[in-house]
Amino acid sequence: MTTPGLRAAVCALVLTTALAAAVRAEDDGQWIRPGKDLGATRYSGLTEITATNVGRLRPTWTFSTGVLRGHEGQPLVVDGTLYVVTPYPNVLYAFDLTKEDYPLRFKYRPDVNPAAVGVACCDAVNRGAVYAEGKIVYNLLDGHTVAVDARTGEELWKVKVAELATGETITMAPLVVGDRVLVGPSGGEFGIHGWLKALDLATGSIVWTARNAGPDSAVLAKAGTFKAYYDKGTDLGLHSWSGDTWQQGGAPVWGWLSYDPVLDLVYYGTGNPGPYNAEQRPGDNKWTSSVLARRPGDGELVWAYQFTPNDNWDYDANAENILTELTIGDRRRNVLVHFDKNGFAYTLDRATGEVLVAEPYVDVNWAKRVDLATGRPVVDPAKLTGKSRGMVHDICPSLEGGKSPASPASYSPRTGLFYVPTNNLCMDWQSEDATYIRGTPYVSATIPYNPGPGGHLGAFIAWDAATGQRVWEIREKFPVWSGSVVTAGDIAFYGTLDGWLKAADARTGELLWKFKVGSGVVGAPITYRGPDGKQYVAVYAGIGGDWFLLSGDVRSDDPADVRPPADFMPDLAQYTSQGGIVWIFAL
Amino acid sequence: MKKAFAVSLAALAACGGPGPADSQAGKSERNAPPAVRYDQYGAAGKLAPPAETLVNPLSGDPGAAQQGEVLFGAMNCDGCHGGDAVGFVGPSLVDGRWRYGGEDGALFHSIFYGRPHGMPAYGGLLSDTTVWQLVTYVRSQPLPRVVPTVAWPSVSTARK
Repeated sequence: MTTPGLRAAVCALVLTTALAAAVRAEDDGQWIRPGKDLGATRYSGLTEITATNVGRLRPTWTFSTGVLRGHEGQPLVVDGTLYVVTPYPNVLYAFDLTKEDYPLRFKYRPDVNPAAVGVACCDAVNRGAVYAEGKIVYNLLDGHTVAVDARTGEELWKVKVAELATGETITMAPLVVGDRVLVGPSGGEFGIHGWLKALDLATGSIVWTARNAGPDSAVLAKAGTFKAYYDKGTDLGLHSWSGDTWQQGGAPVWGWLSYDPVLDLVYYGTGNPGPYNAEQRPGDNKWTSSVLARRPGDGELVWAYQFTPNDNWDYDANAENILTELTIGDRRRNVLVHFDKNGFAYTLDRATGEVLVAEPYVDVNWAKRVDLATGRPVVDPAKLTGKSRGMVHDICPSLEGGKSPASPASYSPRTGLFYVPTNNLCMDWQSEDATYIRGTPYVSATIPYNPGPGGHLGAFIAWDAATGQRVWEIREKFPVWSGSVVTAGDIAFYGTLDGWLKAADARTGELLWKFKVGSGVVGAPITYRGPDGKQYVAVYAGIGGDWFLLSGDVRSDDPADVRPPADFMPDLAQYTSQGGIVWIFAL
Repeated sequence: MKKAFAVSLAALAACGGPGPADSQAGKSERNAPPAVRYDQYGAAGKLAPPAETLVNPLSGDPGAAQQGEVLFGAMNCDGCHGGDAVGFVGPSLVDGRWRYGGEDGALFHSIFYGRPHGMPAYGGLLSDTTVWQLVTYVRSQPLPRVVPTVAWPSVSTARK
């Protein structure tokens, strides 16, 4: 045990320096992990593109991935190379940015079990790769993690971490902390027993597995180490369930991870409890729909906070947890900011899990507010679902979330604001009893959507997480399901479902530029400095994810599967269709 | 995201519930190939005998279609194919179009042996009679619900 501890300490020291350097010193111009820095701010220090010149931004290069599914996540840029991971079948492309036309350096085509496509709840997406120590590390839909030599494309290791037969797939992007690769499964709609695993970066061997529900021994919650700010007692992940329902209780890990090198804590959100019918799983169902803080060295749980106890609404908490400092009241605090599917934006003390601010960032009616004394939402009982309640009408936000966890926000230390893609949708909900059949959907609910108030289905907003207030918004016709990036040039970039990449003034919200990228954007734009010293912006175009399910009319790839438009959004296919395009822009 | 046919366990029990395929003796044997193990569905579709030799003993039986509708929810079919089978992560079954054929025998094969890209093999989980009930339900759905052309801006008239 001394070796990992020592390693963690050394890592912490090195990473503290790295984190500080990334924020305060000049940006190295690369994009080596999903959230740019370990705090997942998606903030770039590049300054070439500004409000005065962004109108001249133009495409300089494109690439078709050959795949039509939802292109979530983001490319990486490391050492003059652009890395792209496609949705299933999870091809990895490496382009040489130092040469004209960016020729392909290699293409890695892993063997992925096609049966995984039917075990993925919400399109066969992939949220990207991470770079560390000469390796590109990412997950395959069928439950493997792979490490590929970043220069040659040679497969260094491939390790099975998830079990397809029990409903587990993997769509998330790993995070590397020191010599640990952290991965988690999808499958909250398939009755999985969620976990986080740490793999050894050098070999891929699994170092530890921590469950998100169950007894303390499985959750890795030890007396003396684990302390939840609002909960007391032991085996919280066991006693907050009825019987053995926790064993199929969900709590997947399909979102984004972040890391604080000073506290040596990894943060990640967990997804919904299963099945959707809450009456089949009485109790808080810890730690579903929660944020967990663990030690990367041994996986020990240090604290946890549940955003939505006994989640009745599929409010996964897989959204990114962005780490920064904010002045709250008159105190400077080290915070974690999280835009939950449940419609509240949370500002937490990231050392303890104390809720400092929790305010709705979209229209919310399932809860009146979050009680800061108890940390619990004050639920409107009229909005509780469950089979005995029949069809419950007009619940806001919908299960797409006030923001989709697939669509990460960004934070600018220059403006002190968060840039957040949002959905303006509500829903009706009728639960039925669900039957657990291994490897099949464990859901059983009917959930029609309705547009939220105002007629628009989404907005890109700027949020002040110190006060819990919306500063500006750009309304969009359709839900905003892309990620965002914000720069030291004070430009925030985001994409739209109808296929635009847009640039807004980060201070005023004025729309400054847009370009039609050919398919709806569900990926996250990035910006980097090319080998020629210029600033570039890159983004995937390729509608999918939940829109693969909900707006089947945007698909044209299967003559044996033609569907009418979604009734809540009958005209999306008038504006976009599937695609799989990598775009690069520059001045 | 329209109406889903989910069902209580009590209702499932009332309609007989799923049993192992090899427990069905007698006349149904000639209507079904040997059972497959459910956890082999990753290799689904590779060893299936010709589908056209299979005859649906429940063809057109409204009671069987009704029981099939209950099963469609109870066996989590709606979790992928959507409520009313209009399509979700799995394809629509009510658009009159088929990847692997829409005849009785082809549908039986799809359910019994599974299909590539994620359709599980229910042959180890459901008796051949219950599979035929599902086939009868799917075949009872009015077709087609969609037309090949969707035109704008007359969205409201294109669909009804």
